[in-house]
Amino acid sequence: MFKVRLIFYILYFIFATSSALAQSEVQIRQQINQAASQMKSMQCDFVQTKHLKMLNDKMVAKGKMYYRQGNQLRWEYVTPYAYTFILNNNKVLLKNSRRNDVIDVNQNKVFKEIARIMMNSVVGKCLADEKDFKTQITTVGQEWVATLQPLRKDMKQMFQQIILHFDRKQSVVAVVELLEKNGDRTVIELKDIRKNEPISSDLFTVD
Amino acid sequence: MSPFHRTFSLWISLLFLACQGLWAQAAFPSAEGERARYAVYIELPRSYISGVCILLHDGTDVKGSIFNEFGISAMDFAYRPQKDKVKLLSVQKMLDKWYIRKRLKRDLRELVHVLQQGGTRYVDEKYHITFQLTPLQE
Repeated sequence: MFKVRLIFYILYFIFATSSALAQSEVQIRQQINQAASQMKSMQCDFVQTKHLKMLNDKMVAKGKMYYRQGNQLRWEYVTPYAYTFILNNNKVLLKNSRRNDVIDVNQNKVFKEIARIMMNSVVGKCLADEKDFKTQITTVGQEWVATLQPLRKDMKQMFQQIILHFDRKQSVVAVVELLEKNGDRTVIELKDIRKNEPISSDLFTVD
Repeated sequence: MSPFHRTFSLWISLLFLACQGLWAQAAFPSAEGERARYAVYIELPRSYISGVCILLHDGTDVKGSIFNEFGISAMDFAYRPQKDKVKLLSVQKMLDKWYIRKRLKRDLRELVHVLQQGGTRYVDEKYHITFQLTPLQE
């Protein structure tokens, strides 16, 4: 009888714990989604550090990011190279020191994916992409850490994992980690995040 | 010395230092531990690839990594000076076809030759591919 009771308690404990965890994960998702939907705009500086496993080296690039609700994103590298990626609805402008290219994302599947992932990662919407990623969310200190395992073949070829670190106070992404198959890792830190401040439309001009 | 001469000398010194920095970055790594960083631009007949190329001499080989501006790897390779051969260590799935690998190995070897001689541009005349490297300042 004691054994039966013990097994019952163990099962109850396991069930109760997993259900509590699941509930908290659901709550975190809700909070992030709510913050994302309320976010009309966001702007920040970023520091991107590429860690190269083979060369035991790292490369640091810095820039500025602007986001506006309605599929508008400007991702601009300032140093050590100048490169700008602007997404405005279905159009992408790629600008470097040599040329400007405008791409219609509906006609370019790869770019459609890149644009969608960049946008959704920045605002945290990719947690809702259940078809594309298997997501696990944990709480670590003052941040929520979402580990995304790509499910689609094309994404699996590029990334092993995408890890998003959310600032719990602001419910926004603070760090994006991209882990590649060759062991390289790119860490993008978003700094001086400002939400819902006016941003000029000129920054999202594609044509 | 007049203020003009002093200013002129200062400008010349600064220019000299700046050029030294540029040469230090541009120099192809020829001894163990030496590194070089370039902005890379590869023009293809219908498109282009841009990003960063980092080279490191590890004592035996010159190892190189090319990745795009967002940090996503395109390829890792190793050039062995004794054999004058390039080995592709990893290539992005999109480029991982036997005929592309074959051409890439050949082009990267030619590009290394150009860099060794102080150049920064190589043109594959047969397939109309232009490689242009620009030294990156830290």
